[in-house]
Amino acid sequence: MPSVIKAEKLRFAYRRVPVLENVSFDVQSGDYVGIIGPNGGGKTTLLKLLLGLEQGAGNIFLFGTPLAQFKAWNKIGYLAQKSPVSQSRFPISAEEVVLMGLPQRLGSAVSRADLKQVHTAMQKTHTRDYAGTIFHDLSIGQQQRVLLARALVSNPEILILDEPSTALDAQSREMFFNLLGELNQQHGVTILLITHDTGEVGKHISKFMYVDKTVVFFGTKSEFCHSAAVAKQLGPFAQHTIDHLHNHHGHCPLGEDCTECAHAEGKHA
Amino acid sequence: MLEFLSYGFVQRGLVAGTLVAVACALLGVFLVLKRLSLMGDGMSHVCLTGVAVALLTSTSPVYMSVPIVMAASAGILKITEKFKIYGDAAIGIVSAAGLSVGLLLTALAGGFNTDLLGYLFGSILTVSASEAALCGVLLCVVLVGLKLFYRYLVSACFDEPFAHTRGVPVQTVNLILVMITSVAVVLAFKVVGIFLISAMLIIPPVAALLLSRTFKQVLWLAACFGAVSVWGGIWFSFMFNIPSGATIILVDLLILLGAFVWSKVYAH
Repeated sequence: MPSVIKAEKLRFAYRRVPVLENVSFDVQSGDYVGIIGPNGGGKTTLLKLLLGLEQGAGNIFLFGTPLAQFKAWNKIGYLAQKSPVSQSRFPISAEEVVLMGLPQRLGSAVSRADLKQVHTAMQKTHTRDYAGTIFHDLSIGQQQRVLLARALVSNPEILILDEPSTALDAQSREMFFNLLGELNQQHGVTILLITHDTGEVGKHISKFMYVDKTVVFFGTKSEFCHSAAVAKQLGPFAQHTIDHLHNHHGHCPLGEDCTECAHAEGKHA
Repeated sequence: MLEFLSYGFVQRGLVAGTLVAVACALLGVFLVLKRLSLMGDGMSHVCLTGVAVALLTSTSPVYMSVPIVMAASAGILKITEKFKIYGDAAIGIVSAAGLSVGLLLTALAGGFNTDLLGYLFGSILTVSASEAALCGVLLCVVLVGLKLFYRYLVSACFDEPFAHTRGVPVQTVNLILVMITSVAVVLAFKVVGIFLISAMLIIPPVAALLLSRTFKQVLWLAACFGAVSVWGGIWFSFMFNIPSGATIILVDLLILLGAFVWSKVYAH
């Protein structure tokens, strides 16, 4: 699989306090990466560095192109942690918000093809019914689904999502993660997702990235389960619990020899 | 009742005032939504430096103020970006610097005189034909800029980080917005005076935001409110022999009050 995101020795400090140090990894096309780690560990900063929203040291390549020269932003969909809506009423409809996700050219007008793409994205996220509603008047959960449609409207090859499910109810969350899983498995969309909701999302995730000032771990779920570095950070029980939440019907590679599995299953029972 | 329209100086004042009020209202929509409402206030204080330099060097206050206010506006953006502080704090810093340098230079120029008071409180009826033409050029620039940058501006106002990920040159768009606003502010100080410029940038957009359901409605309504306030203000000023700058802003405030009441009634 070709590399779609490559980071080399990234460093970022805020007011001389290191936030990220020596971060290197390589995300391949089709990966579904769950980014976990403690609060303040630098997860959001890492995504902002990848999107060019923060400037740090080191090298970032998107689809093999250095970030500074990267122009094909329509290949990347982004959903931030916070909704952009402020207290003041921004007079813009949900449909217009989704439209912002399409590439914008100087002086360009909205075409029929643009609107068709917008409606398709809104259908996917079940937001078509309130296309004409003022974005500010929607509930936080509805706003989040509209923003997901905005991230999807350009048919991106990479989706970068920062704790997207926080404001969603249980039903919307399930729909949301099923949609991400479908995009990843059926359309090969690469996904980077910051989450604390490891149980729900883990059904689809193919890799874990544990970020705490640096990339402590990056690998598959079963590698995560047996990583000494992760065990050192989380403790073997927590490490196994997280992995088991992802493998409701799976089997531990160590089988019956795995005392941690027995421990975790005992606790769950 | 309309006899005041027969005077040449009133005609020039009305034309220049309407052009600059519409330009300010359109620019103000984006400043208000970007939470940079007080940008006009900061710029107007810097205008005082421009006027003081002009009085010291016997040059045109309008032409002297334009580059000074533009530099100050770029300074506000740079301070916000480099030091990662809120825009209002950056505006406060540059505004204080502009006001103090302006007052210092005014003292060096021999203190307050009639010319300076005219700039502080506005003297729309002394607008020259060339200044009125400049107001026309400003409005044309604003309209062309809106046509070209409309989607960029709306995206950058709504969600700046996301706009950046769509390839929108957010910093350039912001810079162009504040540069054009700088020129509008300088031209507006002849209309309503340095003290009241920011009201022209803030009140019509806020009133329009209360009543509109689409972004284009906001722009149209804000432009109409700006123009109506100038016409109403000059008429009241002429009829009751009261200062035109303050009257224009009071008409703006009446419109805002009406919009507020209408929005409350309509909402229920």
